[in-house]
Amino acid sequence: MIAAAALCPCPPLLAAELTGQADILPDLRAACAAAVTSLLASGPDLVAVVGPAEASGTWDPAGQLGLARYAPALRPAGPLAAGHGAGPAAVAPPLPLALGVGALLLGNAGYAGPRIIVGVAGSEPPAACLALGEKIAVSAPRVALLAVGDGSARRSPSAPGYLDERAEPFDESVAHAVRDGDLPALAALDPDLAADLMAAGRPAWQTLAGALLAGGSSVPPQTEIRYCDAPLGVAYLVANLIPR
Amino acid sequence: MAIVNRTPDSFYRPGLTWDEDAALERVHAVVAEGADILDIGGVPAKPGPEVTAAEEIRRVVPFIERVRAAYPDLVISADTWRHEPARAMCAAGANLINDTWSAWDPALAEVAAEFGAGLVCSHVGTLAPRTRPHRPAYADVMADILDRVLLLAERALKAGVDPDRIVIDPTHDFGKNTWQSLEITRRLSEMTATGWPVLVSASHKDFVGETLGVGLGDRLAGTLAVTTVGAWLGARIFRAHDVRQTRQALDMVASIRGDRPPARAVRALA
Repeated sequence: MIAAAALCPCPPLLAAELTGQADILPDLRAACAAAVTSLLASGPDLVAVVGPAEASGTWDPAGQLGLARYAPALRPAGPLAAGHGAGPAAVAPPLPLALGVGALLLGNAGYAGPRIIVGVAGSEPPAACLALGEKIAVSAPRVALLAVGDGSARRSPSAPGYLDERAEPFDESVAHAVRDGDLPALAALDPDLAADLMAAGRPAWQTLAGALLAGGSSVPPQTEIRYCDAPLGVAYLVANLIPR
Repeated sequence: MAIVNRTPDSFYRPGLTWDEDAALERVHAVVAEGADILDIGGVPAKPGPEVTAAEEIRRVVPFIERVRAAYPDLVISADTWRHEPARAMCAAGANLINDTWSAWDPALAEVAAEFGAGLVCSHVGTLAPRTRPHRPAYADVMADILDRVLLLAERALKAGVDPDRIVIDPTHDFGKNTWQSLEITRRLSEMTATGWPVLVSASHKDFVGETLGVGLGDRLAGTLAVTTVGAWLGARIFRAHDVRQTRQALDMVASIRGDRPPARAVRALA
C-alpha cells in the first residue's frame, strides 16, 4: 500500500545544469528536495514515479532525464559535457520530462533502490488514472509514490500559454484539495479544463488520488504544502501526503 | 534586412513605427544606413490581442504602397503567416514573404509563386502562431530544423516559387530555449551547406538576453556577436533592428574573410 506520497512539478530548470551559471528558483529546488527526502523517510520497498507522458506505460527504471534534449551543449560529446551524460544511465533512451525530473529528484536525494517509472497519457480520463493509482498502490507492501506534474502554464501574460483568467482559480482548487487531503476533489478535476489551461499534471494528481484512495481509509491523509506559486507563469505545487 | 514593425506592441521598442509617417522616416533612415531589404510586419510574434487578417492588411498594405512608390528597387519583405495579408502585401509591392511561423498556412507558397515573390522557410518546432515555446526538447535540434526547412523549400519549389528566391531560417527562439538557439548558431554551417541562402533573425532576442544576463535594452553587443558568427558561417540575410551597426559588423566580417577590401587602408602604407 501507499506508505507516503509526494507531489513535485517538472520544469526542466529543476536540473541545475540547464540553468547555466544562475541558481534559478532555489526555494523551489529546495522544496522539491525536502519533499523527496520526506517521501523516502517512509522507508519504502518501492518508489513509484508517476507523471504525464505522450503515451501511458512503464519506462526503464534506469532511465534518466535527457538533458541534451534541452541543452544540446550538454550531450556526451558536446562542448559543455564535462561528465554530464556519462555512465550507463545515459545509454537508456531519455525519459519523458516529468518522469525524468522524478528520476533526477530521486538521484539528488541519493535514492538508488527499487523503482517503477510510470507514464500516464494526458488523454487518460480520470477513471483510468484512479485505476492506475490503485494498481500502483498494491504493487508492493510499502510504496512511496512520487507524482510529478505541473499546474497551469497560463498564469500570466508572460506565461508559456499566455494568461487565462481561469488558471489561478483552477490551481487554487488543486492546492486546496491537496492541502485538505481532499482526494475526491482531486479525482473530480475536469480533464478538459486542465488541458485548456495547460495543466499537464492532472493525470499524475488523479493517479495519486487513486493510489491513496485504494487504502480505503476514510480519514484524509496528513499533508504538507512546501511550495505553491507560479513565479514564471507555470503553477508549481510541492507537497507531501501521508496516509492515516 | 531592416525591421519595420507596423504594430503598437512589438517586443523591442514597441510602437516605434506605429505612426505611418514615423515608419516612413525609419525607412529613409535604414536605407541610408545600408539596409538591402525591409521586413514589414503588422502582427507581433508574442501572444496578445488578436490582430485579424483585415486589420493586418490595414496596418501594412497602404504603408507598403508608400514605400514601394518611394523606393521602386528596394526588396520589401512581408512579415506575415497568413495568405490573405501576404497576397495583399505582394499586390502592393512586396517581393518576399517572411513566414516566421513555418508554413502554418501552407497557401503562402502559392501566393509567393503567383507573385514571383521569395519565401522564407522557417522552423518553430510544434508551435502555433503567436504562442510561446514551453519546454521544447529535441534529440537533435539542428536535424529537426533541417528536416523542416528543407521540406518546406521542396514544397515551395513544387508550388512554383522561384528557386533563386527561397530562403531558409533556423528561427532563433521560436520553439527553442536558449541552449538550443546557441546550438543552432554554433552549427549554422550545416544550414549554409545546403546551398539555400540562410536568414538569421536574432536581433535582441531572449536567448541573447539570457546568455549575457542582460535586459532588453542591452542586447546589441550580443546580437552583433550572433550576426558575426552567422556571417562567418555563411548566412546571407540578417534581420536587424540596428541597421548601421549590423552593416558594419557584416562589412567587417566580409573584409576579414577577404570578400571586401577595407574602406580605407593607409596605415603603415605611406
